[in-house]
Amino acid sequence: MELTREIYWNVGHGVLLPMYLLVLAAFGILGWGFWQRIKVYRQGQKLDRRDDLVGRIAAALRQVVTQHQVMRVAGAGSAHGLFFFAFVLLTIGTTLVFIQADLLEPLLGVKFLIGNFYLLFSLVLDLAGLVAIVMLLGLLVRRYLVRPEGLPTVWDNALMQGLLLAILMTGFVVEGARIAVTELGTPLAAWSPVGLVLARALAGIDEASLRSLHSGSWWLHFALVLGFFVAIPFTRFRHLLTTSANYVFADRRPKGSLVTLDLEDESAESFGTATLADLSWKDILDSDACTYCKRCQDRCPAFATDKPLSPMQLVNQIQVVAFTHPEASLPATVTSDVLWSCTTCRACQEICPATIEHVPKIIDMRRNLVLMEGEFPGEEVQKAIDNTEVNGNPLGIGYASRGDWAAELGVPSLAEDAEVDLLYFVGCYASFDKRNIKVARAFVQLSQAAGLKVGILGKEEKCCGEPMRKLGNEYLYQMLAAENIELINGYGVKQIVTSCPHCFQTLSNDYRDLGLEVPVQHYTVFLDQLLGSGQLRITAEQFDCTYHDSCYLGRYNDLFAPPRNLIRAAGGTLTEMAKSGLESFCCGAGGGRILAEEKLGSRISEKRATMAAETGAPVLVSNCPFCLTMFEDGVKGAGVEEQLAPKDLAELLAERI
Amino acid sequence: MKILVCIKQVPDMESKFKLNPAGTWYSDQDLAWRMNEYDEFAVEQAVQLKEQTGGELVVLSLGPAQVREALKKALAMGADRAVHLQDEASYEKDPFAIASAIAAYARDENFDAIFTGMQSQDRGSAQVGLMLAELLGINAVSTIVDFSCDGNSVTAKRELEGGLKAVVKTNLPALFTCQLGLNTPRYPTLPNIMKAKKKEIATPALTAPASLTATLSVAYPEKKGQGLVLEGDVGELADQLLSILKEKTTVLK
Amino acid sequence: MNALLIAESRQGQLLPASYETVAFAQQLGAETSMFLVGSPQSLPQYAGKLYLADADQAGEYNPAVHKQLLLRVIEQEQPDMIVFCHSSYGWDLAPRVAASLSVAQVSEVVDVVDGGFVVPACNSKLRRTVKPQSSPAVLTLQSGAFNLEAPSGSPRVESLGIDVKNGIEFVAYEAAEKGGVDLSKAEIIVSAGRGVGKPENLEMIQTLARALGGEFGASRPVVDAGWTEHNRQVGTTGQTVAPKLYVACGISGAIQHLAGMKKSEFVVAINTDKDAPIGEVADVLVVADLKQLVPILTEKLQS
Repeated sequence: MELTREIYWNVGHGVLLPMYLLVLAAFGILGWGFWQRIKVYRQGQKLDRRDDLVGRIAAALRQVVTQHQVMRVAGAGSAHGLFFFAFVLLTIGTTLVFIQADLLEPLLGVKFLIGNFYLLFSLVLDLAGLVAIVMLLGLLVRRYLVRPEGLPTVWDNALMQGLLLAILMTGFVVEGARIAVTELGTPLAAWSPVGLVLARALAGIDEASLRSLHSGSWWLHFALVLGFFVAIPFTRFRHLLTTSANYVFADRRPKGSLVTLDLEDESAESFGTATLADLSWKDILDSDACTYCKRCQDRCPAFATDKPLSPMQLVNQIQVVAFTHPEASLPATVTSDVLWSCTTCRACQEICPATIEHVPKIIDMRRNLVLMEGEFPGEEVQKAIDNTEVNGNPLGIGYASRGDWAAELGVPSLAEDAEVDLLYFVGCYASFDKRNIKVARAFVQLSQAAGLKVGILGKEEKCCGEPMRKLGNEYLYQMLAAENIELINGYGVKQIVTSCPHCFQTLSNDYRDLGLEVPVQHYTVFLDQLLGSGQLRITAEQFDCTYHDSCYLGRYNDLFAPPRNLIRAAGGTLTEMAKSGLESFCCGAGGGRILAEEKLGSRISEKRATMAAETGAPVLVSNCPFCLTMFEDGVKGAGVEEQLAPKDLAELLAERI
Repeated sequence: MKILVCIKQVPDMESKFKLNPAGTWYSDQDLAWRMNEYDEFAVEQAVQLKEQTGGELVVLSLGPAQVREALKKALAMGADRAVHLQDEASYEKDPFAIASAIAAYARDENFDAIFTGMQSQDRGSAQVGLMLAELLGINAVSTIVDFSCDGNSVTAKRELEGGLKAVVKTNLPALFTCQLGLNTPRYPTLPNIMKAKKKEIATPALTAPASLTATLSVAYPEKKGQGLVLEGDVGELADQLLSILKEKTTVLK
Repeated sequence: MNALLIAESRQGQLLPASYETVAFAQQLGAETSMFLVGSPQSLPQYAGKLYLADADQAGEYNPAVHKQLLLRVIEQEQPDMIVFCHSSYGWDLAPRVAASLSVAQVSEVVDVVDGGFVVPACNSKLRRTVKPQSSPAVLTLQSGAFNLEAPSGSPRVESLGIDVKNGIEFVAYEAAEKGGVDLSKAEIIVSAGRGVGKPENLEMIQTLARALGGEFGASRPVVDAGWTEHNRQVGTTGQTVAPKLYVACGISGAIQHLAGMKKSEFVVAINTDKDAPIGEVADVLVVADLKQLVPILTEKLQS
């Protein structure tokens, strides 16, 4: 027999016209639905994300087709990925049918759904349909029976599940009825295994009834598909387009990049985000691209310690405001407690399969609170800001003693001697905090052991401004930055190394907008290079440890290898924590929160200290003064100070010179 | 209502103070400067009163050119205009001379309410505010920790010793010297900081009598003779301290 | 040399701080007279002329009235100096009198040296020696700087008539919320200052206080930050204490605090700053991080 099937068997070619007219109508509604949504996006500020549009679209297609970000998390991610592939196959299948039946065959007499290709075609689509149904059922069980905590379920989900299942099942019924009439008993039928099972079940029915069942199911299937198209913009199905569009317009700047506000702009009536109109169109699209997967919420350190912040809920609130009451105050809707709880750790953005940008929205709302309302998370923060304005550091210590830690170390200030191999930008904590001064000394010892001449800015150095910027005080940040940059440029500095990932991120990225072009490295990269080239030698001495990937070195800058190289070179046997690398759990001090008291929920630092203690390692190695400070407190609060000693990597290396 | 707030710029008290060459005051090298902490509360209260009653708030400071920074902060907090009585060696004037200079300016301005800090963090004489009121012939209440104004009548609480407060009432015009904790000084919003850059800072002539107090010398306080300083490892310090307490006091059994 | 001493009274009771002016005058070897707006039922033990105005008529505190009375006495006595305590009464009344007379005022005298008076500056980090160049001169004395061992004598009272002129209306006194703690009676006090860093760290100070069998106190910044109640505050505007042992943890030693605890018999200061002004009054200054030292001390005391 001929290895093919009659397209439009039983329903007839007469369906063509109404079918395409109805499809057009459905697409019309789909288009109109999205146009309504686009009008809402356009209420946001302009933002140009058209750079390298071709590259963006290519990358977006790659992301959609491979489902890479979706499948990064096993379980629901794999299920969705497989379901997606299956559905794509089915769509390709339908498209091939359309091409042959409505274009090539009538116009050119060409048929390709024949022979072995057709057999493959039938098998693949049948299996795809089966996989799709199985995955859907699995997801349905997860959502409605297992009920993972924090997963937001609305009527949309029932509609989507029901519609998709119905489409798939009616599809099989159509096939089953057709096979029952036309293919039963032929070898062809085996190539549609699922359809064959159904056909066998229907075998006893007379042909006339089967034909009625077939055409009835065909029209029902068609109606459901139309319903699906129409439902897309009005339900969570919209993510098919909004999330894909979000991939195209993703933020391609270096991670953690923020908009440097033009504070001199006299026409600006307001700073930061107060209402929807202050967000960019991309921010509003973000809120529409969210698929409510809650992966961000699952990884948020604030949420994990009972603070009211959930990155997903925040994004959802923006969506609700955008589409129901756009004139509402966003900071008030989200609430200050939520906004101040964020540590800007980026775990949310890193995992988000829709490439939503959570952190800049939070910072922009904080900017509104600080710059327009003068509001801070607490009086202690206002005091720290005041201290920074007066003495250039949030600790309130007299600026004149900023370089005192380096006395007797042979480290000149650039004012005394600008002929140095590198400028060590020390940062506030390493300059003034007793625990962190040890790290500064260690770094100097290591650099000098490598034969390098280190210089510091000493009492001229000011806070890099990072905590202030993340808290929303863009004005103070820009003032501090301008002063630091003028100094650094004035001294003709060629290379900067810092021992603080926050200073590193700020000097190497944020300061580029304000005129700093000098290369900046974090000491882990710098020392790794020195060890690698042999310029620095250390004697390995074995020790057991675990390692905490700081947010600003890890997720922000993808620097996971250099610190691990250093640990190995120092003789360390590293037991990784469950949450390490990109999944590392914040110490709690980011986002300016090092300056604030933690009043809500439980302590993030204690939670992380407990995770470290669970590895059984006696030493917790970190690379950041904030992490070190938080862990010194955290191990005490978590009651593990006897078993776990927080140490900075530089200290361990310096002991082994 | 016309309101005046008088502020002083002082060094940040966390600074290490060195002596000036003449030995008559601290050297201004390596110092960070700020608005006198008591004056922040005065400015905040003055701004609140202005917001409550409408009217004009003038901020005044006597000192060298750099006090303009403190004036700008007060303008950013809500003062409408500033008056700078410029004096590069203001530290040489005693409180009476300063109060007289301010009185010379304020006399014809007819302020309804005047706020000052209760004392300055560097000299700490706690005199200028009350002397100013005396020279202007108006009532004054010092060391207020609470303030409320109803029309022309003010009810204030003075902080006394031992946690005791005194509730007093006065009519305006009056002067109030402010104690720490009177209110929560606001952080200036950015629009206000920007507006402050355009607000007027006038520099009228300064007239003041000669100082009636001479500073003979300034020095570091002597350490008490038997003051022992212990340093070293924390565990050993604890043992040392406990044995000293056993030996020198009767508190440990 | 002639000194007019200003005594203080409140709610009909003479305040003992008044005697500090007597001690000061004795140190100078000056002849004295005294001024008091107070009650005839509560007179100072002072063997000299006392100008007394009845507080019932003059009002509990009315600066205009007190000033007028005092100016009249000054006119009559023609003293070389008028000596107040640097108290909420003294620092309020003295400048008014000085300005009225257009004379010099020296505030918060802590010592007398050749030709001048020593006063603190910059949070007690410096000492200034000043010389008033007017006659009379107005002085205020730092609380506790001059102490009279044994006041004695009966005054020769000259009553002052009062023609009341209204200025400030005194409404009422408001006592601090009583929490049952009277630090002025405590024998051992361990106090926390800004150096503790966080409210959570107060607990270790309180534990040490308990381990020593004493009470827990605090400096003003700690109370202002809301970390503990006001009745724990030691200082001029809090409680004045005189325990056998005072342990100041993370307290730099602002004058107002020192004034409240200077009379302690033995003072231990725990501070990371070797040069902190508290070192001035401390018998022992332990240079250490209180967060490390305090728990160790507590542990050793408890074992």
